[in-house]
Amino acid sequence: MSTERLAQVELQAGQDAGAKGRNRRRRPGSWSVGEVLRALVAIVVGLAFLFPLYIALVTSLDTKAHVFTFPPHLTPDWNFINYIRMWHMGRWLMYFGNTTFITLTTILIALITSILAAYALSFLHFRRRELVFVLLLVVLMVPGEALLIPNYVILHMMHLLNTRWAQILPYGGSVFGIFLLRQQFLAMPDSYREAARMDGASHLRFLWSVAIPLTLPTIFTIGLYIFIGSWNSFQWPLIVTVTHNVQPIEVEVSRLQMAHSVDWRRLTAAGFMATSPLVVLFLILQRHIIRGIGRNEGVNM
Amino acid sequence: MERTVAGSVAQGARPPLKQVRRLSDGVRALLFLAPAVAFLLVFVYIPAGVSLGLGFFHYKLTGIDTTFAGLYNFKAALTYPIFWQAFRNTLYYAVLMIPTTLVGAVLIALLLYRDRRIFSMIRTVVLLPYITPVIATSIGWLWMFDPQYGILNAVLTALHLPVSQWLLSPQMAMPSVAFYSLWHGIGFDVVIVLSALAGVPRSVLEAAAIDGATGWQKFWKVTFPLLSPVIFFLAIVTTLATLQAFSQVYALSSGTGGPEFATMTILLLMYLTAFQYFHFSYAAAMAIILVVMILILTLVQGALSRRWVFYQ
Repeated sequence: MSTERLAQVELQAGQDAGAKGRNRRRRPGSWSVGEVLRALVAIVVGLAFLFPLYIALVTSLDTKAHVFTFPPHLTPDWNFINYIRMWHMGRWLMYFGNTTFITLTTILIALITSILAAYALSFLHFRRRELVFVLLLVVLMVPGEALLIPNYVILHMMHLLNTRWAQILPYGGSVFGIFLLRQQFLAMPDSYREAARMDGASHLRFLWSVAIPLTLPTIFTIGLYIFIGSWNSFQWPLIVTVTHNVQPIEVEVSRLQMAHSVDWRRLTAAGFMATSPLVVLFLILQRHIIRGIGRNEGVNM
Repeated sequence: MERTVAGSVAQGARPPLKQVRRLSDGVRALLFLAPAVAFLLVFVYIPAGVSLGLGFFHYKLTGIDTTFAGLYNFKAALTYPIFWQAFRNTLYYAVLMIPTTLVGAVLIALLLYRDRRIFSMIRTVVLLPYITPVIATSIGWLWMFDPQYGILNAVLTALHLPVSQWLLSPQMAMPSVAFYSLWHGIGFDVVIVLSALAGVPRSVLEAAAIDGATGWQKFWKVTFPLLSPVIFFLAIVTTLATLQAFSQVYALSSGTGGPEFATMTILLLMYLTAFQYFHFSYAAAMAIILVVMILILTLVQGALSRRWVFYQ
């Protein structure tokens, strides 16, 4: 589960924050021989990482004659028939719809619960506040695989197995989100809340018109990570669903892969249909994602 | 008595009001925390407790047979040859993944740590696989690994090297899965190391250069010690990720853990035991063994870290 991994990174990033800004960026000068060589090696590395995606794209756009040839064919034929056939082979709109619904609902629920909890842990004063926070952080130490079986049993008892909700509710509370937002809220000057209180603003009013607008970048980052984790999730949907009409794309792609094991043109087309929304999202938001992971703007775009 | 009444009257209405507000602050906190805590209680705290207990029973979904089993499930797992194979495979996968991820990430990060557009573009490319869905991108790799028509054997043939059966060979199947995972996940580690490199003060490196240190010496005496806390952190994170690897093993072995159980990991075996054969308690015992394994490996790494991690 990538959000868990990212949560750990954010914890680490907090410690590294002081390192930021210690270095002044050096202006790039003219290209020396060494720099050109370095760039060439780097380009080869980059191409090696792109290649598996590229060859899948080429295969998905190939004509039949070109697939089972040796050595393999390396330039696309721009033949979209595989995509059209693949599209008609399954109920893709339904799977896209399921994945979208599950992802967006998870983000919505997790953000609401996290914002409220983080607010309580930073703006409200009550006894044992720190203890409550520590008890929440303990969640980050619980390994996910220990929860698979008991969560299945719990959903069975709630009669929620084989529903979309079974894929949403277990992710409704995000300690990672609470942790990040609490940090942001605590960094907010006390005078903001004081001023709002003088004006007679309630806590909810203050949260809605001051605290949330000021922490939008963090809220966005949390939402983005939940999006990636939820859109790509496979193990949990595989476990808790059996009927096609509640399953996400990843489960469908896996089923297709097992059913048509050597029809590479259609399979790579299916793979691309499932991958492309994330690639587009990544290319648009790459800065945000990289900054989120590295919490650093030293080496910039 | 007169005094206290007089006192409270003299103070006016303020103290009781304040008390009301403080009280309601606690109630409000309870209301604000309730949604998040409710979710975590039902799907984390209670299951975590239950999972510890489940392994000690003969649990069935129908709820009829919940007799105490003691250590029966643990004994059954530990005397099951395929469990031991899965145990060895899981460790083997970790041994393949952890050093290659760390060394690879540091090398790529050192290569890309330059202030030019081309290098940051390549950083983006290296990170790209990390956000792609595992099942979908495994398909391209299954195709590349194809022994007859795949690109990997084509390259080996062109170089006059012996070809491999890749995922179909019991010897090469696990390294092939590791190959995929490295491609998929290393960009994450590269970005972290790059951000740590940005925290190495240039003045220290320049001072070392003035003292006549070579590039090699500068790396081992200055950069590496300053990076070591981050590398240690990545070692822990990578260990957790490899021991919990599921989707790529499932996709690249078509959900079987084959050939000849060569890619059967503990988590996959646990999945098959619980959700294909519905032996919940038996699978829960395996999960507990896996968690203990993760705990031990993390503690060992923590102990070893004192020898090489440098904290400023």
